[in-house]
Amino acid sequence: MKRGNFLLGTISGLTVSATANHVFARALAQTPLAGLPGSQGRCLVLINLGGGNDGLNCVVPHGDQRYYNLRPTLAISQSEVLAIDAHMGLNPKMSAFKSMYDKGNVAIVQGVGYPNPDYSHFRSTEIWQTAAPDRYEHTGWLGRYFDEAGLPPDNLFNGVAISQTVPEVLASNKTDIPAIPNSAGYGLAFDRSPELSQAFKQDARDASLPFKSPYLAHVMEIEDHAQRGSEELPKLIGGYKTDASYPATPLGRSLALAAQIVGSNLGTRVIYVEHASFDTHQNQRPGQDRMLMQFSDAISAFYQDLAAHGNDNRVLTMTFSEFGRRVAENASRGTDHGQASPLFLIGGGVKGGLYGDVPDLGSLDNGNLRWTTDFRSVYATVLERWLGRPASPVLGGAFPAIPVLA
Amino acid sequence: MAAQTRVDFGGILRPSGQLDSATALQPFRGALDERLAAHLLRRAGFGGTPDEIRRYASMSAGDAVESLVRFTSSSAAAQPTLFDRRPYMRELASLEGNEKKQLQNRLVHGDVLALEDLRLWWLNRMLTTQAPLQEKLTLFWHGHFTTYINFSSMMYGQNQLFRQYALGNVRALAHAVSKDPAMVLYLNNNSNVAKHPNENYARELMELFTLGVGHYTEDDVREAARAWTGLRFDRFTETVWFGEAQHDDGTKTFLGHTGNFTGDDVVDIIFDQPQCARFFANSLLSYFVYNDPEPELIDGVAALLRKHQFELAPVMSAIFRSNLFYGDRAYRALVKSPTEFVVGTYKALGLPQIETSAVAASKQMGQTLLQPPNVAGWPGGANWITSATMIARQNFAVRMVNSQTLAASSWLQQIPMQPAQAAHEILSAIVQQDAAPASRFQLEGVMAGSGTASLKSLSPENLQQRIGQAVALAMAMPAYQLN
Repeated sequence: MKRGNFLLGTISGLTVSATANHVFARALAQTPLAGLPGSQGRCLVLINLGGGNDGLNCVVPHGDQRYYNLRPTLAISQSEVLAIDAHMGLNPKMSAFKSMYDKGNVAIVQGVGYPNPDYSHFRSTEIWQTAAPDRYEHTGWLGRYFDEAGLPPDNLFNGVAISQTVPEVLASNKTDIPAIPNSAGYGLAFDRSPELSQAFKQDARDASLPFKSPYLAHVMEIEDHAQRGSEELPKLIGGYKTDASYPATPLGRSLALAAQIVGSNLGTRVIYVEHASFDTHQNQRPGQDRMLMQFSDAISAFYQDLAAHGNDNRVLTMTFSEFGRRVAENASRGTDHGQASPLFLIGGGVKGGLYGDVPDLGSLDNGNLRWTTDFRSVYATVLERWLGRPASPVLGGAFPAIPVLA
Repeated sequence: MAAQTRVDFGGILRPSGQLDSATALQPFRGALDERLAAHLLRRAGFGGTPDEIRRYASMSAGDAVESLVRFTSSSAAAQPTLFDRRPYMRELASLEGNEKKQLQNRLVHGDVLALEDLRLWWLNRMLTTQAPLQEKLTLFWHGHFTTYINFSSMMYGQNQLFRQYALGNVRALAHAVSKDPAMVLYLNNNSNVAKHPNENYARELMELFTLGVGHYTEDDVREAARAWTGLRFDRFTETVWFGEAQHDDGTKTFLGHTGNFTGDDVVDIIFDQPQCARFFANSLLSYFVYNDPEPELIDGVAALLRKHQFELAPVMSAIFRSNLFYGDRAYRALVKSPTEFVVGTYKALGLPQIETSAVAASKQMGQTLLQPPNVAGWPGGANWITSATMIARQNFAVRMVNSQTLAASSWLQQIPMQPAQAAHEILSAIVQQDAAPASRFQLEGVMAGSGTASLKSLSPENLQQRIGQAVALAMAMPAYQLN
């Protein structure tokens, strides 16, 4: 170690070292994406509609009078709804999304849920993320996919969470996924010498460190990844140019970054994006409508961008939400926590249309819609037909695939 | 790097090795040294200046804890400037269309600015208070009884409520916070009426505030919601009142009890459940000692809570005096929250006042005070540390060590001119010597430059830069991320 040669660079001001020789950049260059079965450079973009998206005001059963009876002030009138057929339609704020549906690029799976529904935001979100309704898992279903997919271990961007924190769905035993809220702030405002990085890494393993902490290894690992990743990411995605006009919303910005990552071929297989909050206990219409419009507009821009770069067929976008909401509205013109709701699969590889059973408002469970498609069937479909991996090791069992992918 | 010891998700990770449960909660008889004094100040407050750490290191654990628990609430802190919506409410009610929208936007804007001021005010209160444990518990309760509404005056009111009850009676706090305007609005308990109960508050009260999942049923949620019907909110006075006509006064069956219950009855029934004391014991241990505490430890603290009828001061006193608290299991066993990181940095540098930019820095590290991410509050633990937040921490540390900071820091002004001694002092103040040889070597290397014997020979600019680099390096060390 060369003593005294450590540099934090100039204390202020950005100095970026150009070390294109990082291990993961090399690994990236050497690993053809098509080396994985069924992969063909495909990417899954997972959008969490956090807070519990009310399925009935999103994919609207406008042909069912019971919907109007149960929601006297909340229901979306037949004249407003963007009809798909005589029975179902989309929220009127989703016109851009409706156009994508009409072009056959959107599959809607109705009535998705899981056995013994939990009405807690947290437990239910956890269940959707871990794919384990009946037990507590410390890894997410995509985290387990990472662990067993044999992706290049040195690639820091096998998956990316476009958020401040890493969601549980990406938690794994072997793979660290970076959280990158946006590309602008993702960089150290100083330069750090290799000697210093080495010293910090050494610290983590040094038995003479005068304390023990259960979090020490985690801190060290993330510190190392943050440094290397933030140095490389701007260089890796900086060449991507787009003409797409994204809405100036958090989701718009997140998806713009997602398109940039996809288009820069970092080998990223999964991108996680958040869109919240759908927790509409009161005055639901304006709030949910706004969220859905933001969703619709951002997704539309995203696919225009992807298509302009020839990437729309290799990106599958899937939404999920912890639950739908109670069928009947409450006194605050809102809805309480419910069970089943629809989810969307979007992209050039999708066979568009409606899947699953139409919500049955005549057979409610304590006021809640019953689920008819197990969410793990959708996951199994994505794992096997999109990511090209067997689903059983990830989901801990076999679930029938849904024929939504071309 | 594939870590062999990846942390569990959700920030839950217990130190390894066996707990000596027989002596864990017995009083610690050893002497405090600077490391343990700093540990106490970090946990029962937001860290210490080098002077404070030395002062506490000369005390017994009992005296040190006593001085933190028996505080006299400081009123010296300047009051925040709040935005008051109330005068606009009549006008708002009379307006329509675009005009109404414009006024609404102005009110929202007023509150957004006021909330930013309030965040800075609170950070400064944490830094300057003579009662750090009071502020620490105020922050704890904010994360526990999570609330976020875009009304600055009501968020301030709730903040004061947490401060008032900081070390007081937990049951009384649960009653008070249930009727706190910010909470009532946040979880929609003002629109919970007999004909159409809104279950939001009833559910979160049990799930997140008092019992935890698995200790009540869906029927209990529905019945508790019925009991809570009738609370109303008056936007002209921003107060909560009880609307008899909206209350369901029928018979309810809740957690095995049957009667014509009100919301207050629900709280009392909950607090009589043994699980309630266990729930708070777990929260307190996870926040102040280490995550995922052992069941026997939870039982021990739950027994203390019941013995003291949910009075918190004696329980916190027992925790902070215990062998457990000063043992290896607890030491640096938590991850610093962004608030602890920011306030602790100003403390460690001995700076008198937190600057506006610290609010944005804390946001980038993942914590916006008065705006928790959701009703479960900040998950904490490993969740604080992501590649994004780690970068934010390090960039903050580098920005902090500018020339003004160094000029305002009394101890850095007097740093020894011999490089190795200077490095030693920085390691004491920032990480209490919790560095391994390789990092220590790097820090000494920074101070010595290319073989400087005395820092006196440096130009003032070069000296400042060198000290700044060394301090930032110490703040980048793993120990500094941990609490």
